[in-house]
Amino acid sequence: MFSFLVARRYLGSNPWQTALLIAGVALGVTAFVFITALINGLATRLTDDVTARSSHVSLEPADRVARILPNPNPYLKTEAVALVSMLQRKQIRTWAATVALLESQAGVAAISPQITGSAVLVRGEAAAPVAVTAIDPGNLDAISPVSREIVAGDARLNANGILIGYRLAEAMGLSVGQPVMFRTDRGVERLLVIEGIFRSGVQSLDERVAYISLETARALFVLPAGVTNIEIKLNDTGQARAFAQFLSGATGLRAIPWQDRNSSLADALTAQAQTGTLIQMFSLISVLIGIASALSLSAARRRSEIGIMRAFGVSRPFIASVFVVQGLLIGIIGASLGCCLGYGLCSWLATFSKPDGSLALPIAPAEGGYVLVIVLTTAGAVLASVIPARSAARLDALEAIQQ
Amino acid sequence: MTAVLDARGIGMTFRNGDELTPVLSDVDLALQPGELVALLGASGSGKSTLLSIVGLLLRPTAGVITIGGERVDILSDAKSSLFRNQRLGFIFQFHNLLPDFTAIENVAFPAAATSGGITGVMRKRASELLDRVGLSDRIDFLATRLSGGQKQRVSIARALMNRPELVLADEPTGSLDRAAADQVLALMREINREDRTTFLICTHDEKVAAGCARRITLFDGRVDDARA
Ligand SMILES: Nc1ncnc2c1ncn2[C@@H]1O[C@H](COP(=O)(O)OP(=O)(O)OP(=O)(O)O)[C@@H](O)[C@H]1O
Ligand SMILES: [Mg+2]
Repeated sequence: MFSFLVARRYLGSNPWQTALLIAGVALGVTAFVFITALINGLATRLTDDVTARSSHVSLEPADRVARILPNPNPYLKTEAVALVSMLQRKQIRTWAATVALLESQAGVAAISPQITGSAVLVRGEAAAPVAVTAIDPGNLDAISPVSREIVAGDARLNANGILIGYRLAEAMGLSVGQPVMFRTDRGVERLLVIEGIFRSGVQSLDERVAYISLETARALFVLPAGVTNIEIKLNDTGQARAFAQFLSGATGLRAIPWQDRNSSLADALTAQAQTGTLIQMFSLISVLIGIASALSLSAARRRSEIGIMRAFGVSRPFIASVFVVQGLLIGIIGASLGCCLGYGLCSWLATFSKPDGSLALPIAPAEGGYVLVIVLTTAGAVLASVIPARSAARLDALEAIQQ
Repeated sequence: MTAVLDARGIGMTFRNGDELTPVLSDVDLALQPGELVALLGASGSGKSTLLSIVGLLLRPTAGVITIGGERVDILSDAKSSLFRNQRLGFIFQFHNLLPDFTAIENVAFPAAATSGGITGVMRKRASELLDRVGLSDRIDFLATRLSGGQKQRVSIARALMNRPELVLADEPTGSLDRAAADQVLALMREINREDRTTFLICTHDEKVAAGCARRITLFDGRVDDARA
């Protein structure tokens, strides 16, 4: 197209000015990429930190409430009420079917049927309350990387084995191989052997949590067939809410996404994303204002030329297209350059790490919103050039020539 | 024989708010094919105004204009733009060439802009025209690297690119020295003689006027027609 040639000549006729303009666009796009990669990286880190040792969706038995039963005899004015027994332990009896359903779902990374409850560890004079998680020993690391955090003994859970945190072990003077009396809140007790000691780095876990095997827990918590909860990890944490909704519909159980257990984090992530959008918008707007003003100046400087072109019969749409194409070229080149710069900057920043091995700046170079920013900048540049294009096309040929 | 240009009863009164400036009233002007005509008159007499009206760059406040048998004073903006492109040629005193383009690109521009690009045929015609105005050795020079006289000769070549029936020139020699002005005049005469292209040339230059077969003088908004 001839307007491409003319636009290229116009941009090339003042290489320094064009280079500055493109540099301005590129820097704006770099800022966009940086902030996008940072916000995404930060969100990923916060989410990872929060969900590293917990599930993404928890399934629990639905709350049981006393309800009025349908009256079997309409002639009798009596009401039947189903009572909730406080002695009956809430449990998921149909857990095997639920696990089968979960296994058939794409996007499910791990499934862990559990019995959770509280117990007391007793050794001589000392006693300590523990939160017990009973899991399938073959699937120990499904939710939390327990076996990787073992500092003494090992992570194999035998029928009479128990894993405890190092702080609890220290407090009670327990070491691997020693027996300890385990008494549940159901009043059942049994002698278990310390099989492994873990150190997660999270104080409350290291002080209060104990793992036993699911089969052992059945007798101890008097749940011969059911489980108390099923914990699920997903490939994409962002899908948790939708998946929870699906599960509660499909199973009738209470499904809780991780965000509901961490609502302040979810709020913080939303606020952070909104701040990011605002900064992205401002960086784009400044880019577009730059393009519009530079092209307006160029159109003003070329008034007499445009007048001559109009005199020898170049159409108004052609004149307009020359300026729109200039905007398009500046947008594409500036955005591409900015994406490269932004990716380079983010990748460089991602090489800095803290002594513990985590990133100094939680930046995700791959998630800089590159496609979005190229599309937005290019479309925006075309829109921004419409103003100078229209003013150039509207020029009165005679007035412009006579200047 | 149909006239190349037939303008009748042309009137032009500029209006700026309440202020009216009458410049032309009831001007008749007819040009036959192959004529070489000088448009003379004192400064401010309305020469450029009349030329712009005839060149469809300015709409008169009165009168009818026919070019090559076609009524043109009523054409829409887009149609008159295309008409200028296909049927008229323009040469101005200043800012004639596009500075970012070479001589040959400037010449081919009127054809390229309406058909999407410079084709081989256009390039050939443009280089022939440049050859004809004596600039075959400056074909690929940027417009900014040409002298004033050379620029004006490129302008003549460009005006001829689409084989117009009427070329309108407003003081084409106005900013040239004697030698360059003579060269430009000689060129216009030669093209007029060989191609029978009609020229209407606004000028203050006595020598240019003397070189034209017919002279029209604007005086007090009216014409005084004299044939040599
Ligand atoms: N847009 C306009 N508004 C008002 N008056 C105008 C306008 N354009 C031209 N004029 C007036 O019209 C008159 C004729 O102008 P024109 O440019 O046609 O003169 P000219 O004969 O070409 O003069 P010169 O020889 O100096 O070029 C002048 O008095 C000028 O002031
Ligand atoms: Mg004039």
